[in-house]
Amino acid sequence: MTAQRIDLPQGTLDLLILRTLGLQPQHGWAISERIQQISSDVLRVQQGSLYPALHRLERRGWIKARWGTSDNNRRAKYYELTKSGRRQLEAEKVAWDKLTAAVAQVLGTA
Amino acid sequence: MFSDFWLRLRALLRREALETELDDELRGHVLRETEKYVRAGVPQEEAVRRARLALGGVEQTKEECREVRGVHLLETTLQDIRYALRMLRKSLGFTAVAILTLALGIGANTAIFSLLNALALRDLSVPHPEELVWFGAYSPDDRFPNDPYTALSLPMFQELSRDQQVFSGTFAWWGGAVMNVEVNETLTRASIWAVTGNFYSELGARPEIGRLLEPDDVDLNASTVTRVAVLGYGFWQRQYGGSREAVGKTLKIEGIPFTIIGVAPRGFTGTSAEGGLDVCVPLTAEPMLLGDTDVQKHLQRRDALWLAAAGRLKAGIPSEQARAQLESLWPPVRQAMLPAAQDPGRRNRFLALHMRVAPGSKGDSYLRSRFLKPLYILLGIAGTVLLLACVNLASLMLARAAARAHETGLRVALGASKLRLVRQMLTESLTLSVAGGLAAFVVAYWGSRLLADFILTQSSTMPAELNLSPDTHILGFTAAAAVLTGMLFGVAPAWRAAQGNLNAVLQQNARTLSGGTGRLGRGLIVTQISLSLLLLAASGLFIRSLLKLQAVEPGFRKGQLLAVGLFPRPNGYKDLNWTNYDRELLAKVSSLPGVEAAGIVEMTPGSVGEWTEKVRVTGAQAEEVTSDCVLLMPGSFHPLNISLLRGRTFTWNDDEHAGKVAIVSQNLAQRLFPGGNAIGGPLDVSTEPKWQSLKIVGIVSNASYYNIRKPPQFTVYVPGTQHGDFMGYPDLILQTKASPTALWDAVQQAVNSFGHEYVFSIKAIRQLIDKSVLQERVEALLSIFFGVLALLLGAIGLYGLMAYNVTQRTQEIGIRLALGASRGDVRWMVLRETLILTLIGIAIGVPCAMVASRVIANLLFGLSPHDPATLLLVVATLLAVGALAGYLPARRAVRVDPMVALRYE
Repeated sequence: MTAQRIDLPQGTLDLLILRTLGLQPQHGWAISERIQQISSDVLRVQQGSLYPALHRLERRGWIKARWGTSDNNRRAKYYELTKSGRRQLEAEKVAWDKLTAAVAQVLGTA
Repeated sequence: MFSDFWLRLRALLRREALETELDDELRGHVLRETEKYVRAGVPQEEAVRRARLALGGVEQTKEECREVRGVHLLETTLQDIRYALRMLRKSLGFTAVAILTLALGIGANTAIFSLLNALALRDLSVPHPEELVWFGAYSPDDRFPNDPYTALSLPMFQELSRDQQVFSGTFAWWGGAVMNVEVNETLTRASIWAVTGNFYSELGARPEIGRLLEPDDVDLNASTVTRVAVLGYGFWQRQYGGSREAVGKTLKIEGIPFTIIGVAPRGFTGTSAEGGLDVCVPLTAEPMLLGDTDVQKHLQRRDALWLAAAGRLKAGIPSEQARAQLESLWPPVRQAMLPAAQDPGRRNRFLALHMRVAPGSKGDSYLRSRFLKPLYILLGIAGTVLLLACVNLASLMLARAAARAHETGLRVALGASKLRLVRQMLTESLTLSVAGGLAAFVVAYWGSRLLADFILTQSSTMPAELNLSPDTHILGFTAAAAVLTGMLFGVAPAWRAAQGNLNAVLQQNARTLSGGTGRLGRGLIVTQISLSLLLLAASGLFIRSLLKLQAVEPGFRKGQLLAVGLFPRPNGYKDLNWTNYDRELLAKVSSLPGVEAAGIVEMTPGSVGEWTEKVRVTGAQAEEVTSDCVLLMPGSFHPLNISLLRGRTFTWNDDEHAGKVAIVSQNLAQRLFPGGNAIGGPLDVSTEPKWQSLKIVGIVSNASYYNIRKPPQFTVYVPGTQHGDFMGYPDLILQTKASPTALWDAVQQAVNSFGHEYVFSIKAIRQLIDKSVLQERVEALLSIFFGVLALLLGAIGLYGLMAYNVTQRTQEIGIRLALGASRGDVRWMVLRETLILTLIGIAIGVPCAMVASRVIANLLFGLSPHDPATLLLVVATLLAVGALAGYLPARRAVRVDPMVALRYE
């Protein structure tokens, strides 16, 4: 454990999943690994909440799932972004940027 | 959301496949996670453990995924219902009792509601009933504030119809007179309606066969009458067996022939909620039915109020606008119709007439005015019974839930969410209540018809019918009652399930789980006792009230007295000398074997009708007293057993030529002549010229002649010999030990021999009095049913709880016995708990009953709503039931064998 790990703030998991799937279709485990990896091991995904989140996004029509074969020929459920998911990702990214900028400004001036 | 819908549908249809997918997905995850740890050098077993831990419990994750997936609700509900059915099948006894309780509880409510619905909520079965508006003149009357008598004269109706601009059509009718009708040469009685030509078309009726009355049939300005008649469906079925041949045939009403042109459709009740349109004739036929040959003179009487009228609102006109317009049209019409001024009293009453405009969608109903309030109260009582049933079931369900606590705990441990458990419990109770609701429908179907039949046959002599068929109101009511009930008695166990402490439950063995149904269960029992007390108090009050009413001595003979209803033959009253006729009739009837005395009264004693007038001592500024008026023939006091105190009774010599006389009751004599010189005193009755300065010739004992509910009334008796113009449809009263059937032939023969009247009915006065207390009898009858139900439910609840507690405490009891407690101690321990709960219930119930019984105060007779005797009786009954319900489990408790109990595990 090199760096201090942060639990994800409420509501950011969806954004991270969408962002991760924006790069390429992934299965559940790979998504959590990927998030951890990209964030240089700072962000820790609660694996228990990952799958419900995936099912929720699927229900909203932002991602869709299909079964495929992964490394060493194992079956796995792959998730990929849909068109509306991509739009959602853009929207959430903009909202997130605004939020962090605003928070940073407050922190910087206060 | 299209994709959403498909996902849900797919999930529902391919539940198994999806479950497998979820399983595969999560297993794959754990596998990969494990491999990650192994690669990092963690031993295989530890790696698996860490992987599972990271996922936070495979089953919980699955459950959350299912929930997110959304079909969840529908799917788990189905699952819950399957599970509930399985649980209910496993304890058939409980299920049967629960469904029976619910069926009776919901059924009783629905049955009473069906009656209320038919009387007050249901619209007439005509197209667009909401457009109908009733209008007519009425004089404000305190006696019937909600249902004043409204009527118009034909000229009033015509002027108002002509000037109004709010209705697309107006129509009028004269309804409900019971008359002689001759069908195929057999005389019968039927309710006759005379209506305007647009009556059927405005009400949107189509003929069953033939045709209905049309405007051409009813020319209000013609001096001749089109003698045609439309039959009601029921009358057609009864009298013509539903034969199509009836059309074109002739029937005679009061001896006047009418040609049948058609039959109204089935279920058509005209403007009445109760039906009873046997024969409908043109409005212009009304004068001749009453024996008036000058049709136009009779119809054009400007101040005779005899018509009911209604209009159909034009599209888009609110009924408020119609009211405003008719009210503004009314004063000039009233002024124009003012009767010629001979009688100032009459003139003033006429000027006091108001225009009343009321929504007509529900139709007229005699029963509504009489039974609405009692029905609402009965619905309240039935509702309380249902509440009691709910509490009862809640405590039974709670006991079952407690017995299943171990299973519940295990399910929580395996990942079931609390929400899920609560839903499961509610599903179980709802499954029960829906089943109960379905059964209740059957109960209500029969119950409402039984009740309606009872009320209808007792309250009217003519066939009437109420529309009790299920409509949206009734279906909605039953469904709401079932669902609400299910929620109500499911909440307690569900709440308990959600409260469950996982660790405590798991550490304990299923059997040694202490506490039983706990405080919640005891609270429910206390509630049951209180509710039972409330209901028993109500039924006790109603029953005692009825008993008191039946024991009333009204001041006239109740037993061994028959009332023979006499009706005129066609033209039987024409130029009749009442004095001679009744004198001969009484002589003939008195000599019949078995008849001890006979009399003739214009109105039956103890019956529904009554006649009151303002009376005062003639002259001076004497005060007015409201007094009952009784018109009778000489010799009638004896069979009535009203005794002469001073002076003399009427004789046949008190005829039209002699001075006008009257007899007064003792209380009236004392009130008007405190000095005691009543005999001879001149008396004015009303403002009628012929009734002034009557000479009082006698004083008789007090009586409640018309209404046995009232204390002895001031009463003036006047002789029929001097007021033949007021006679008609009298009652022959016979003092006899014989039954009506035994005397029927002889009396009929005697009456027939004069050719003026015929015997319509012979009834015992006691029977008529019973009819007059019909409302009290219905209340008492139903409240007995509810009271017994309440007692039964309370007893079952108490017994169930105590029996359950004893089972739960078998081990504890065994230890107590092993340690030397006597069997008496154990018995008392169990019994004491029951009695304490009962006493707490009573302590809460008594004040509640005292407050609640005020609602029924004015339905009671001669009884305070806080009647101590009733309350004492109810408390004693409950204590006895409580003791019994506690004694049985107590006896079982002392039979516990300590050795067996200790090895119970």
